[in-house]
Amino acid sequence: MTSTLQAVAATDHARRVYDNVFQMLPCEENPSPMVRIGRLNPSSTFALFAKLEWMNPFGSIKDRAAWSMLAALESRRELTPGPDGRGIVEPTSGNTGISLAAMASVRGYHIRAVVPNKIPLEKKVLLKICGAQLDVINDELCPAPGVGDGSINLAKSHAKAQANRYAMPNQYENRANVEAHIRTTGPEIWRQTNGAVTHVFLSLGTCGTATGVSTYLRQRQPQIKIIAVQPSEGHDVPGLRNVSQLHATKLFDESLIDEILEVDYELAYIRALELCRVEGLLAGPSSGLILEGAQQVIARETDGLGVMIFPDNIFKYTSNLIKHVPELVEGTSP
Amino acid sequence: MFEYAQPEVLVSTDWVNQHLNDPKVRIIEIDVDTKGYEAGHVPGAIGWNWQTQLQNQISRDILDRSGFEALMSQAGIRDDDTVVLYGDNNNWFAAYGFWLLKVYGHRDVRLMNGGRNKWLNEEDKRLTTDVPAPQPSAYKASQDHPELRARVAEVLEASRQRSKSLLDVRSPDEFTGKVIAPPGMSETAQRGGHIPGAVSVPWAIAVAQDGTFKPAKELHKIYIEEKGFDPARPTIAYCRIGERSSHSWFVLRYLLGFDDVKNYDGSWTEYGNLIGVPIELGAPRLVKAS
Repeated sequence: MTSTLQAVAATDHARRVYDNVFQMLPCEENPSPMVRIGRLNPSSTFALFAKLEWMNPFGSIKDRAAWSMLAALESRRELTPGPDGRGIVEPTSGNTGISLAAMASVRGYHIRAVVPNKIPLEKKVLLKICGAQLDVINDELCPAPGVGDGSINLAKSHAKAQANRYAMPNQYENRANVEAHIRTTGPEIWRQTNGAVTHVFLSLGTCGTATGVSTYLRQRQPQIKIIAVQPSEGHDVPGLRNVSQLHATKLFDESLIDEILEVDYELAYIRALELCRVEGLLAGPSSGLILEGAQQVIARETDGLGVMIFPDNIFKYTSNLIKHVPELVEGTSP
Repeated sequence: MFEYAQPEVLVSTDWVNQHLNDPKVRIIEIDVDTKGYEAGHVPGAIGWNWQTQLQNQISRDILDRSGFEALMSQAGIRDDDTVVLYGDNNNWFAAYGFWLLKVYGHRDVRLMNGGRNKWLNEEDKRLTTDVPAPQPSAYKASQDHPELRARVAEVLEASRQRSKSLLDVRSPDEFTGKVIAPPGMSETAQRGGHIPGAVSVPWAIAVAQDGTFKPAKELHKIYIEEKGFDPARPTIAYCRIGERSSHSWFVLRYLLGFDDVKNYDGSWTEYGNLIGVPIELGAPRLVKAS
């Protein structure tokens, strides 16, 4: 029975059955869905699509980088299963950690996730549900030159002090993060749009998506426009970085980005709510931010085919959302 | 002409690496986030917790003399040892520890330039989770130096009379009163703003991108030429709880050679809670410190 099911796997997506969760990871043959934006697209001549990364098995775009980094560590035999084996330590604002933790648990590796305190409680709990040990860091005490990100430093400390116990994928420096998007996200977008894509709208965090997608699509279509949308300073959109915070990542290549749009971070939550209520897309705040950026570009350009990469859905941000839209709490208790 | 006034109080990460087994050198880590030491520290370093070990646990105060001697004794430090301090956040609390050791007169105290972050990011530097168990010593503080510490009465007088320079080292938003404390801080005050007459020079301006102190020439330009602090005029530095101001106190006293600099460790969490004291709000004024 199993072998019969496997036999159709690669050829007939409608009848595909997966042998394990890793087979569900996105690739050109199994892309994350792309859905057309309706009423929230102000133009009839500029087509706008959202690529729904929360449809990946562990719930976000980070499945791609996590799998790529994990596979690289495994191929170098740097990990050993078991509680006393060599597991993983990683700084994360949640999504990469959740993907890595779920994958590591299946493989039998222990994992320690170092997170900033400001990430939503949902993400912290999800990390624990997926089997991660948590270190929570109080970031942003007072601007400190050269100090970098507290969660990156603490993860590095674990990896350096206990190299026999921890490997650190380090999504902020790991080229496998970029390669995941050169190998999967870029080709998926190209194929799903029949090569007609003119604009890609995305956000900046580790910059793995921006650098990887841009690298691939520019080879196919040099005229393509890669638009990065970033939240204004002082934002609380987990996972994203304002340009002033990008020093923490080594994967940012400004030459691959055509334009960086700064958007008032409050709009991230407002647009996310609109996506939920108008398009039925239960998108998270970073997706809301990207929509706002796309709408701004569409307002000034007459035609095109835009793809927005929506990193994750709203489920992990309800506690953040109620801070920005207090009426959501009204009527939630007897 | 532009050398640090007392360059011997700064040691490099390489110097520390070469003295890991020097019995006359005691290495102490003091972090803002105390998880850092547990995750990994310089081999042989002892970790001090600023919240539980460097302060009186009943009244709000620094350790008293006997408490300080007990702390030093437990760490196995002898009177003639070289104590090297380092920590996270560009040595905030390491500088506070430096100040505390000087208040109780320890002779040879040094800061590891660049702090924990510089060590962490250098390939040839090791970290360990092994916690040393030093042989306790019988440490006796040699001489108290209360003149390094400003109390609130002196601060109020300095502000009222403009008799001493006041240096506010907090972030611009804390200085103006836009925020009372940086995000996520539990210790806070009832009011925001700054002490009247204080000049804003955020602590971080003294630090280069690699976390080390800027060269003497740059520090001289910032504090003395641009901000108008006078090395011959009594000066009081403050922040929120006295650790960031220890960092700037160290810069003025040891790197720029100011004669009379005090750290106001009560800082804004004391001043901003006092009833009836004057507070200024708004942007830094253009007037200079002296």
